[in-house]
Amino acid sequence: MAEFIRFDRITKFYGPLCVVENLALGIGKGEFVSLLGPSGSGKTTLLMMLAGFEQPTSGNILLDGTAINDVPTHKRDMGVVFQSYALFPHMSVGENVAFPLQMRRLGKAEIAERVARALDMVQLSAFVDRRPSQLSGGQQQRVALSRALVFEPRVVLMDEPLGALDKQLREQMQLDIRDLHRRLGVTIVFVTHDQSEALTMSDRVAVFNKGKIEQIGTPRQVYDEPATRFVAEFIGETNLVEGVVEAVQGQEATVRLRSGAHIVSAVSGSVASGQPVFLSIRPERVDLSETRGEARNCLETEVTDSVYQGDHLRVQLQNAAQPLIAKLGRRSREFPPGTKVYAAFSAGDCRVIAP
Amino acid sequence: MSAVSSRTGRSLVLLAPLLLFLIGFFVWPLFSMMSQAVSDPAVLRLLPRSAEVLTDWDRKSPPTMPMQTALMEDLKAVDDDQALGDMVRRLNSARSGFRTLMSKTMSALEDTANPPADLVSIDKRWEKPEFWLAIADALSPLTDRNLLAAVDLGRNAAGDIEHLPADRSVNRVILVRTFWIAALVTFACAAIGFPYAMIAASLTGWKRDLMLAAVLLPLWTSLLVRTAAWFILLQEKGLINDLLQTLALIDAPLPLIFNRTGVIIAMTHVLLPFMVLPIYSVLITIPKNLMPAAASLGAPPWRAFLRVLLPLSLRGVASGSLLVFISAIGYYITPALIGGPGDQMISSIIAFYATGSANWGMAGALGVVLLIATLLLYSVYARLSTDEPGRR
Amino acid sequence: MPMKLAKFAFASLTILFLVAPLIAILPLAFTSSVILTYPIPSWSLRWFEELFTADAWRRAIFNSLIIGTGTTLLATVLGTAASLGLRNRLLFFCGSIRTLFLLPMVVPAVVLGVGMQVLLAGFGLTNSYAGVIIAHTVVAVPFVVVSVIGALAGIDERVELAAQSLGASPATVFRRVTLPLAMPGVLSGAVLAFATSLDEVVLTLFVAGPNQRTLARQMFSSIRENISPAIAAAAFLFIVATILIGLAVVLFRSMLAKRR
Repeated sequence: MAEFIRFDRITKFYGPLCVVENLALGIGKGEFVSLLGPSGSGKTTLLMMLAGFEQPTSGNILLDGTAINDVPTHKRDMGVVFQSYALFPHMSVGENVAFPLQMRRLGKAEIAERVARALDMVQLSAFVDRRPSQLSGGQQQRVALSRALVFEPRVVLMDEPLGALDKQLREQMQLDIRDLHRRLGVTIVFVTHDQSEALTMSDRVAVFNKGKIEQIGTPRQVYDEPATRFVAEFIGETNLVEGVVEAVQGQEATVRLRSGAHIVSAVSGSVASGQPVFLSIRPERVDLSETRGEARNCLETEVTDSVYQGDHLRVQLQNAAQPLIAKLGRRSREFPPGTKVYAAFSAGDCRVIAP
Repeated sequence: MSAVSSRTGRSLVLLAPLLLFLIGFFVWPLFSMMSQAVSDPAVLRLLPRSAEVLTDWDRKSPPTMPMQTALMEDLKAVDDDQALGDMVRRLNSARSGFRTLMSKTMSALEDTANPPADLVSIDKRWEKPEFWLAIADALSPLTDRNLLAAVDLGRNAAGDIEHLPADRSVNRVILVRTFWIAALVTFACAAIGFPYAMIAASLTGWKRDLMLAAVLLPLWTSLLVRTAAWFILLQEKGLINDLLQTLALIDAPLPLIFNRTGVIIAMTHVLLPFMVLPIYSVLITIPKNLMPAAASLGAPPWRAFLRVLLPLSLRGVASGSLLVFISAIGYYITPALIGGPGDQMISSIIAFYATGSANWGMAGALGVVLLIATLLLYSVYARLSTDEPGRR
Repeated sequence: MPMKLAKFAFASLTILFLVAPLIAILPLAFTSSVILTYPIPSWSLRWFEELFTADAWRRAIFNSLIIGTGTTLLATVLGTAASLGLRNRLLFFCGSIRTLFLLPMVVPAVVLGVGMQVLLAGFGLTNSYAGVIIAHTVVAVPFVVVSVIGALAGIDERVELAAQSLGASPATVFRRVTLPLAMPGVLSGAVLAFATSLDEVVLTLFVAGPNQRTLARQMFSSIRENISPAIAAAAFLFIVATILIGLAVVLFRSMLAKRR
């Protein structure tokens, strides 16, 4: 995939506060990249710099090989969708969608045709003459979406666009946007703090923390192979267990826990013998049984609590002062507190993370 | 960075016209009023030559010849007897004996047949530096005389500040009266406005709208119309007296106009909206469930009111009261039209000095007093309305 | 229930106190008598006739319209521009400038009047329309500033950013987005400025000559010197104008609210 957008050593200060620090990121043409992170991690600032609302303190932003630092927003040709929709309250839905086309001085007939097509795409053709205030939140966001897409911008930027919608609508819109992306093939940069949203929609996810990218990769990579402790904890739920590396064999390492137990785990970075590390074990990868099974990793634990949560059973375990959580499928049997069980998982289901 | 500075530049360009306009036509007028209050160029205007020569004098040694010649020239050129009289009075209050000295000198100077060689030959007193010192001081265009007089103070012959004699002490009476009337009006507004705002805030729908409209309608109506309306209602054969007489509650018409009662009634009507609206806007932010909560915790209604609603709404009462008080102390039209001679407030006196007797110094000095009082109260009000109370 | 009754009585009496004087003056505009008292002997339009034919009154109405229009234009232009300038929160002295803009509302009119007369005399602007318009603009401008700042504060800045990203240059953003959204605030500011000028007496007393007597000024001296039902007729006009102005402001505000 050809690189389309490049952030080249971008740094941004607000006064003495560094919000983006020496950041490098490349985005391919037609790619859907999510910038995921907690609030204040610099993801929105990066998006605002890409849109031209903010200037980087240092570093370059390149679009298709050309630096665009000095290009004003209105000449950057990027559609922006905001969380607050930012529709023009004094214009009808049709006028809102026509606005970017009028700015580009297209003919009346063409504007009408493209507005109709864009509204049709989001199933809002019937609302063309309504005011934004007469629409529901979800409808307003679809207008904002079609307004940002109608002029076929080079990039579409979305700043937490679904944050103001309720859960059900949000999940529907996630699928709609993903579908639009596939049909139109437009490059989308999507800012969110919701990890499941990022995993659902993106080709790649960039995980932000304190102005830096902790990891960038496909949803599968950032979830299954977290590179850092922050990524492991921020995306999904995980068990972090302290230990010391005893031996490294290729892509696997043997780690000794404080309880003395040994765990064989996959390694994503480079670790050396004797190094203190964390093990990340996803709760849904843990199997419980009352007999020691065939699995390579098996810890003796005791059930302290067990909670039925509808789609899964959440079991809290204790292994020699180390708490563990296991999520079991709903067909699993119940484990009353006090039961002695073995928690088992394969080497591929846990990850060694250098602290 | 260039985007930021161009934005700042654009903002400055937008701000500049109004800023310059207000500096020119708002700040500057206030300053020229203040400078009127402290400036007294009367003596300087009469004695321009002496002023020039006296700047070189060391204020100790006996008068030089050029000083005497300059003063003689100046005195000979005086053609405004009233200005001369004012000057002599002022010099005499600084240095007693000046009056006789001056009349002697003036008549000697008028004797054109036998012109005196110098001032000392007219009177030995001209040798003394003290008299020249009084002139030198009076030549200064700055004076605190008006400001002191505005609060009934003056300087005695020794230059110390003291109270003016009772027959000249009118300003303090008026200042006290102004604050007293303003306080009464503020109290009346609070007594009516607080319960009114509470009732309005407790209602919903058209009843609340009606109560608010009743406040807004007078607010939007011309002040003159309202004052005229009260004039009509309060006059001897006005509606109020008619009504009371028809009901046989009174035999003779009550005196309601051209006195304190009328002023207070009319000003309360005019300023009541400024009390109701701030209180109302505070009250509607108080969550409706606080009183039921207090009741559920065992507070009887009156204690719930005293412990919960009253403390929370006090901020509104305070800003409303300040607003009413600030407006009231500067009032001119209503006391001028409804009040009698004994109800005139400081604004009327300022207007009298300015337009009636063209005494700009006194008008300015009283203006400074009123301005300072207003700005002090306003700064309290501004702090009150920006500070979020910690307990909310 | 006695509590409820007391509340009802209190509210009714206060409403009566607030509104009755304004209503009481209205019928007197139509009296045929030369004195301003009830009962009205018979109905007549003579005082309206007086208002529109007597030289002093006609002239005063004319002057009020000229000065009101001038004040409205000047105050609206200056106030709107300054409010737009105040949007830039990067300026560290914004707060004090804002205070300065609002201060003419606070300073007693007589104090300002004295200073204004001294100053305008220096410029030779006393007894001129320009002088009166300037004086009225000083006290009318805060209303425009408050109103426009309020409207601008209600604009979501991201709406303007969105317009930029959709290809609108800063000038186009202002013309197509900012100004239309602020318009209700500008209009209600203009209406308030006109109303302020119409009602101004004290500054007019100080800076206007006999040729710039406004309606309010004429009413003032008429109440003071020879009160006649012409006052009631003028008050009638004022109240009708007030209701129209009030309706206009309510309309602009609801336009503003609808857009939110």
